[in-house]
Amino acid sequence: MSEPASTPPAVRLRGITKRFPGVVANDAVDFEAAAGEVHALLGENGAGKTTLSNVMTGLYRPDEGSIELFGRPVEFRSPRDALDAGISMVHQHFRLVGAFTVAENVVLGDHRGEARTFRLHPRRIERRVAELGEQFGLAVDPGAKIWQLSLGEQQRVEILKALYRESRVLILDEPTAVLTPQEAEKLFVTLRSMADDGRTIVFISHKLNEVKAVARRVTVLRGGRSVATAPTADATPQSLAELMVGRELASTRPERVELTAEDETVLEVEDLWADGDRGEKALRGVSLHVRAGEILAVAGVAGNGQRELAEAITGLRPPTRGRISVRGKRLPAGDPRRAIRAGIAHVPEDRLGTGVAPSLTIASNTALKSYRTQGPFLRRRLIRRRADELIRDFDVRGATHATPARQLSGGNLQKVVLGREFSAQPSVLVAASPTRGLDVAAIATVHGHLRDAAADGMAILLISEDLDEILALANRIVVLYEGELAGELDPHGATVNEIGLLMAGGARV
Amino acid sequence: MSVRIERRLEQPRWLGVAVPTGSIVLALLLTGAVLLLTGHDPVHAYHRLFNAAFVGKDALTQTIVSATPLAFTGLAAAAAFRMQLFNIGAEGQLYFGAIFAAAAGLYLHSWPSALLIAAMVVAGAFGGAAWAAIPGVLRAFCRTNEIITSLMLNYVAALILNYLIFDSLSYWRDTSTPEAKVFPQGKLLPDAANWPSWGIVHSGPGLVIPLGFGVAVLVAVGLWALYSRTRFGFEVQVLGDSWRAARYAGIRTRRKILAVMCLSGAIAGIGGASQDGDFRHLLDPRGLQQAGYGYAGIVIAALARYNPFAVVLISLLLGGLQNAGYALQGADFPSGLVGVMEGLILFCALGCELLRRYRVRVVRRAGPEPSVPATEPTS
Amino acid sequence: MNNGIVVVVAASGVLYGTPLLFAALGELLAERSGVLNLGVEGMMLVGAVMGFWTVQRVHGNSALVLTAAIFVAALAGAVIALIHAFLVVTLRANQIVSGLAVTIFAGAAGLSSYLGNDLNLADKPARHAFDNISPFGLEKLPLAGPILFGQPLLVYISWACVILIALYLSRTRPGLNVRAVGESPAAADAMGINVAGYRYAHTIVGGAFAGVGGACFSLSITPQWVDGLTQGAGWIAIALVIFAFWRPELCLVGAYFFGAFSALPFTLQARGVTIAPELFQALPYVATVVVLVIVSMGWTKRGLGAPAALGTPYVREEL
Repeated sequence: MSEPASTPPAVRLRGITKRFPGVVANDAVDFEAAAGEVHALLGENGAGKTTLSNVMTGLYRPDEGSIELFGRPVEFRSPRDALDAGISMVHQHFRLVGAFTVAENVVLGDHRGEARTFRLHPRRIERRVAELGEQFGLAVDPGAKIWQLSLGEQQRVEILKALYRESRVLILDEPTAVLTPQEAEKLFVTLRSMADDGRTIVFISHKLNEVKAVARRVTVLRGGRSVATAPTADATPQSLAELMVGRELASTRPERVELTAEDETVLEVEDLWADGDRGEKALRGVSLHVRAGEILAVAGVAGNGQRELAEAITGLRPPTRGRISVRGKRLPAGDPRRAIRAGIAHVPEDRLGTGVAPSLTIASNTALKSYRTQGPFLRRRLIRRRADELIRDFDVRGATHATPARQLSGGNLQKVVLGREFSAQPSVLVAASPTRGLDVAAIATVHGHLRDAAADGMAILLISEDLDEILALANRIVVLYEGELAGELDPHGATVNEIGLLMAGGARV
Repeated sequence: MSVRIERRLEQPRWLGVAVPTGSIVLALLLTGAVLLLTGHDPVHAYHRLFNAAFVGKDALTQTIVSATPLAFTGLAAAAAFRMQLFNIGAEGQLYFGAIFAAAAGLYLHSWPSALLIAAMVVAGAFGGAAWAAIPGVLRAFCRTNEIITSLMLNYVAALILNYLIFDSLSYWRDTSTPEAKVFPQGKLLPDAANWPSWGIVHSGPGLVIPLGFGVAVLVAVGLWALYSRTRFGFEVQVLGDSWRAARYAGIRTRRKILAVMCLSGAIAGIGGASQDGDFRHLLDPRGLQQAGYGYAGIVIAALARYNPFAVVLISLLLGGLQNAGYALQGADFPSGLVGVMEGLILFCALGCELLRRYRVRVVRRAGPEPSVPATEPTS
Repeated sequence: MNNGIVVVVAASGVLYGTPLLFAALGELLAERSGVLNLGVEGMMLVGAVMGFWTVQRVHGNSALVLTAAIFVAALAGAVIALIHAFLVVTLRANQIVSGLAVTIFAGAAGLSSYLGNDLNLADKPARHAFDNISPFGLEKLPLAGPILFGQPLLVYISWACVILIALYLSRTRPGLNVRAVGESPAAADAMGINVAGYRYAHTIVGGAFAGVGGACFSLSITPQWVDGLTQGAGWIAIALVIFAFWRPELCLVGAYFFGAFSALPFTLQARGVTIAPELFQALPYVATVVVLVIVSMGWTKRGLGAPAALGTPYVREEL
């Protein structure tokens, strides 16, 4: 299925280099995608995928290199140039105006042909949006406000925007992160039908299975460089993984800590209800318990109450009903300080804004929960010494105790957070997406720390959207769907498909 | 070639001095341009300004008089802004400090001077803190943005102040003489309520330092120690950087908001007390309102980048400017020049702040550069 | 004419509310694009002084001179707003501090006073001023006539502005784009909308409106120039935008409401009733605080129209 050599590719990037202060995010990257194909861009977190796509969509201007569309060189000064040239992008964090309707979002910024009118014609736009949705299986109510929609629906709006603009090239950045496996499957069907329609789909991912499932060819990025382009038919997950990481992967899956019957229950949550930020009932009567030395994983698609669960247990969000107890002692509602004192540690989802205060030094961030020593004065020497110890013990690279936290890479930052949380010798750890955005080596380090902590008798509640991570770490798995627990599984017997069904609210156990 | 603005990874220390100095020089040049355009001689104007502020007879003393309230409101703004709490109500809090301190001065007239002065400081601090507590409570418990509420309350405070003296027969109003009924003014405070001052330099132009200025310096030291050496200060620092991180760390954010708002209001309130005790010796609505102390304080705090010691220094500078403005008021000196200069200094400081946080680079396209191992920026 | 006190108060509410309305419409445009401009007072004063300068210095037919004066006032307000826009959009300065700096720079003890003094304008009656006009004899209508139709031309112009701005924001593409820029600059940018351009344009046009609002004082209400002529109207205008939930048509209602409050004590005094004027003068400020509290209590979770990105700079390319 190779094109004749004379047809120029839909997109061709040559020697794209993009530097940021202190880093080269893209280093002479070459990339090509043909019309009518789904082309995957595979790479670890930090390999330069998002930067490259931002260069393609005019959001960033490359320091070096050139872009050609259908054989014609182009230079994008702004996203508008890229849009006009027919390139659309679905960002990882959607670029939608929450207070607007679907139709208003779709028509936003459009200035072609009929749309050049000064006046808006909401009815006409809504009709066109509904038509497009039907044609490509992207059903959403064009009159609905964005903030009322689920993340999956919002993604459909993003794709509709591209269709409405008649884009020739559509780039999707990690689109399946907010979907169940089954929803992802449906998305792949939509993407393939769009490609059959002659469009080019650039599919960015770090998940090997997805890439094999949806794409015809794949380009692998590593360390900001493009290392290979190959048809997916010839590639195995093994070969792709090695290209992505740059070395052979030892497929070690260390044994889980096995529990004995008498291990006591440490964290107990009974009939927990909590409201989300929009006032909706985000948690509806969740009950669970975690025993000492156990890793209980909560699986689910983002936005089904995971954030609220973690926040309710750690006191950041007052529950509307229910009780949380640690070793049989009930916690007061919505009091983070008492939760910390009761021995609950927390690795938050939002590492840089919540887990640390970004502009403060590592020393200050190490002391974030332990600065309350005797007397009104700060014991600054002690704080610095502890930070130095943490940097040494947890192998935080390229930093001293005086380095501002924001200068650390994701992996090193997570080491600081973990080190601080463990230093209080907690009995419970709530870890929310602890490896999101980290590279393979850092993921392995974090997983190692979590396993060690469980082996030492900590009760760990792991909230994650990454099924591979859950299957690798958990002793038990529960699935959260629309604020309720949809079932409990044993990781030894469970398959991705089974969990996926529960994540979509399919079967209840 | 293109110009790019990049975030600085590290901020060199010399920039901390170079940026404010540069912006003041730039502002002087711009003001000079304004003067030239309107047919004044800038060199002559600056010369007179400088003399009136720092050199002439009593110039320095008057400059310190003007600087004292500015130091208080500047410190008040700095105390709150440190925590990203934008209390722009120092103006109203200063009025309330003045009202409470005047009440204390009048009511406790039989007390010995030292005790009475202490009582005025406490009353002023209490008045300012109480007025600041309104936006503080609203922010802490109703999540109401404190910027607009504290701003609106400035006007309410000014109207209350006017009401007490001009449109009512309040405790503060002088009703002893028939003239006082036609030209309303405040009751004179007892002599014991007059704050002392110290003549430091007696020869030449002379220099007298009022007690209020000394209190301002003490407050600056206290504020520095509080914010850099105590647990309270640590919590303010964390809150100032990230609210979510502070909640996560178990810091009681509501209490801290209220405490810092009240602290900020109390400092402004002591400024009001100093106005009563040091300079005016009665509750004087016109005098308190004419200079816009509260707003100038925000300018000073911003220029000083919320550093208490720098606040005191810069208040001397702007105090000199204001003092010169009053001294030179007249037919041949352009009125409003002081406001223009203050505004331009602030514009330049705000503009130059960019240089501290960002590096402006002229980039030549397609130039080779050694490459560093890459990591992806997460936006 | 033997108008009841209600009619007199309402009519003066319309007259005194008009400068508030112009300034609030300008602030609304800026805020809808995400720029908070606390410099309204300064922009109004500079507009007032420059408009007054025009009628004193330009000779010719009264209508032409007044038209020119309005344009000069708008231009002056726009130039001051440009400083703010440059600082907060291009140089990403703190919007609060920059806005206050604008007021200090241009306000009662700043540029407006400097200009008034230097151009020798103080305490002289205006050579031309807006007269009351009664279009089509509508003033004869009962009740509404004397309240709404015995007013100077600027009042009628302000009505047109309210309608145009309301239609602009809700029915046009640029209007949709502005709202997007104010709600989510990142989304607007990704859709090819020039965020900085929209913010500049609306801040500057907002400044022009504030300038016209200032000129209402010096050319219509108190046709003369004194330092600090606007007496804090700029701050009320900022309050008004919140009070009106960022909607132009409600700005009109609120402006007349607040205008009536500030005019009431004088009307009453003229009739021999003495009430402390401070009581009424404080009402707009207190009302605004109450509205702010209601908005922030979150009875409606999506707020009541505050642009989500208000007061935050937008930076695209950053680590």
